[in-house]
Amino acid sequence: MRKLILSRLVALPPMLLLVSVVVFLLTRVGVDPTRQMLGEGASEAQRAALRQQLGYDQPLVVQFGSWLGQVFRGDLGTSFFTQQPIVSSLAERLPVTLAMVAGGTLLAIAVGVPAGIWGALRAGSAIDRMITAVTSAGLAMPGFWLALLLMLFFAVELRWFPVLGFTRFADGPGMWAYGLVLPCVALGLHSAAVIARQTRGAMAETLRAPYVRALRAVGTPRRRIVYRYALRNAMVPILTAAGHEVVVLLAVSFVVERVFAIPGTGTLILDAVVRNDVPVLQGGIVLVACLVVLINLAVDVGYGLLDPKARPQ
Amino acid sequence: MITVSRLLRQPATLVCLAFLLLLVVAAVAAPWLAPYDPSAVNVTGRLEGPSAAHWLGTDELGRDQLSRLIYGTRIALRASVQAVGLALVLGVPAGLVIGYFGGWWDRVAMRVVDAVSSIPALLLAFGVIALLGRGLTNAMLGVSVIFAIQLLRLTRGMVLAERELPYVDAARVLGLSAPRIMFGQILPNVAGPLIVQSSIYLGFAQLFEAMLSFLGLGVDVGDASWGQMLDRSRAYVGDQPWLPVFPGLAIMLTVLAFNLIGDGLRDAMSGARAPAPTWKPPPVRLVPAEPTRALLSVRSLTVAFPGAATVVEDVSFDIAEGEVFGLVGESGSGKTMTALALAGLLPPPGAVTQGSVRLAGRELLGLPDHELAALRGPEIGMIFQDPQSALSPVHTIGRQLIEPLRTHEGLSRRAALDRAAELLTLVGVPDARRRLGDHPHQFSGGMAQRVVIARALAAGPRLLIADEPTTALDVTVQCQVLDLLLDLRERFGMTILLITHDLGVVADVCDRVAVMRAGRIVEQAPVGGLFTTPEHPYTAALLAASGGAHA
Repeated sequence: MRKLILSRLVALPPMLLLVSVVVFLLTRVGVDPTRQMLGEGASEAQRAALRQQLGYDQPLVVQFGSWLGQVFRGDLGTSFFTQQPIVSSLAERLPVTLAMVAGGTLLAIAVGVPAGIWGALRAGSAIDRMITAVTSAGLAMPGFWLALLLMLFFAVELRWFPVLGFTRFADGPGMWAYGLVLPCVALGLHSAAVIARQTRGAMAETLRAPYVRALRAVGTPRRRIVYRYALRNAMVPILTAAGHEVVVLLAVSFVVERVFAIPGTGTLILDAVVRNDVPVLQGGIVLVACLVVLINLAVDVGYGLLDPKARPQ
Repeated sequence: MITVSRLLRQPATLVCLAFLLLLVVAAVAAPWLAPYDPSAVNVTGRLEGPSAAHWLGTDELGRDQLSRLIYGTRIALRASVQAVGLALVLGVPAGLVIGYFGGWWDRVAMRVVDAVSSIPALLLAFGVIALLGRGLTNAMLGVSVIFAIQLLRLTRGMVLAERELPYVDAARVLGLSAPRIMFGQILPNVAGPLIVQSSIYLGFAQLFEAMLSFLGLGVDVGDASWGQMLDRSRAYVGDQPWLPVFPGLAIMLTVLAFNLIGDGLRDAMSGARAPAPTWKPPPVRLVPAEPTRALLSVRSLTVAFPGAATVVEDVSFDIAEGEVFGLVGESGSGKTMTALALAGLLPPPGAVTQGSVRLAGRELLGLPDHELAALRGPEIGMIFQDPQSALSPVHTIGRQLIEPLRTHEGLSRRAALDRAAELLTLVGVPDARRRLGDHPHQFSGGMAQRVVIARALAAGPRLLIADEPTTALDVTVQCQVLDLLLDLRERFGMTILLITHDLGVVADVCDRVAVMRAGRIVEQAPVGGLFTTPEHPYTAALLAASGGAHA
């Protein structure tokens, strides 16, 4: 197990370097920030001065080198507009994003896995067909639309939740968590559909496996076969789906933030896109890409835990 | 062609295709279909609910929702088709080339692919917008890149498998150029999954268009798009709760249609899926049978798959206590189905339709599964052809060996593990104690079969059903395993039903034999008689075919 984790960790730095190259190229090449910052009226001399000040006049490789050096020192630069250090604005916004993603993922697994098992055990029955229909609809439903409908029903109509107005963690953890319930439900239900579908397929597959018949042939009770053997074998594809869903939730949470007016990472990045605030956009994408790389690492280690063949011998 | 005719028999797919056709018509004929100008402002009639004049109500500027929805189909379809079309043009040829040539290029390309795919599509779209400016086409470009990369991965994976196949070699021998092999030979063979995936991506693209428009990064404010309608509805849902309902439904139904068509295509290409196992045996017509002194008495056993063939028909035989009874026949003759029927383990939808199976005088057919389960282990043991697949790959051998001991003997975990180690030693697995912690893939075929035998014997069955126990093993190991079985029979006083296609094995170990062909028993005799004077011509043919088996 330690070997597996080590081998994955060794592969991490080159991967992150490559990711940073992609992000840098994506956000720097051909971008002239002076138009945004100085407006159309500025003279070419003013523009050149600003470009020089920002280091945009240097060759790309040099720009990349100095940017990467900064990133290594934990400095993502400052915003063109607010002049705030990007690391601190990201650190301020990240917790609420992570809370939404974690809440959504937990809900998705808590709903999706049992629903999938239930469907697989009653394959072809009316209940199975109903679960399949609901998951198909769930897969097609835009997460942010569900968020909008939830808000409409539970906040606007029933008044169980505050309509808008996000409570910061520092101002009251209880209210903070309360305000995140609907966003988490919106995110989680959508992913639950994906996980239920994957679980149902994987369980139907493992329940047909020859070792299930062999276990039945020695009189192993059904409950033990289903939960101890079939489910355990089905967990590898379920983990794949769950890992993928965490990444999807991360992106969809950016859209759901807008529905509930939550000032999270997504809002920060979106504002940067609208204002063409290149350093913030860069920092945001680097952060998200690193999170994705770490999630994939966790999934890889999970494979090692679940499947003895995935462990290096 | 089979695929198309299968598709046409899927009602859900047809409904979805019809819905998409409707969307295309709406997009093309929007100016004629829409009851109002989609951007006609009417301040006096703003935020109305559905009515006769405005079927879906009006928005905050009094614009007709239905008209905007109809015009929105243009944006929706254009964005989806653009994104997926571009992804296909970029991703598929790249995947073909990388997969076909492989090597160094492949390694570099796949690292870059990994790096780019760690940026979620939505953020890549953000980046492209920052680079090229706002607008739906630019935004969907980022989405397209991610689709292209996933299609590249999918194509490459399939090409890696395809290029090892004989038809590709044949094309090379014929002197076809690499591009012609890639695009003319390989591409048609991998097109199926690509089409399925494209259909699903069309749905995803629709979701992304909606998200990007919702975030204000998609269409211009003037144009009508479903996502943008949802965005504008946010501020006014308090006054008009209908506002977000219809655009959302439109998005959902469109995505659903693309997804279901993808599912339908996949099913049509792969054929019918096997049903999951059921624990509830269907009703059986029991055949009355006179009592016998045999340990196992089978009468008129018939097994059928509904809608398909009868695989076992009117099979009757007796096995006396302590006997080794052989059931021989070529593959597909119904031997295995007979064995599975005896233990109540037929794969669904196969089922026993009539007959009688009595073990020590007790009728087994029609017993509920939990009662049968209590007999599997202490009364009937079973060994299968492929030992590796009879063991769960992610559980240790120890964990799987103690199952019958815990279930039937009620042993504690520790006691069961001690007993399991003894059993392993008994079947000839060296270093048994330590090997309990190993996983199945760490065992050779012969050793794995010994493990499976140990598990089948753990609860001391009176009857052991061995279904081709040596077929999957190396020739040198086959004899060892057979000898082990015979040795164990004496030690445990077992009766054995040995299923095999190998007449040599039958001659060596069996007391009596039944020959099966096409689901029926054609001849039953003591071993000596069968080999010297076969009565049925099929038996004679079988003997002749196996040549020197008797010697």
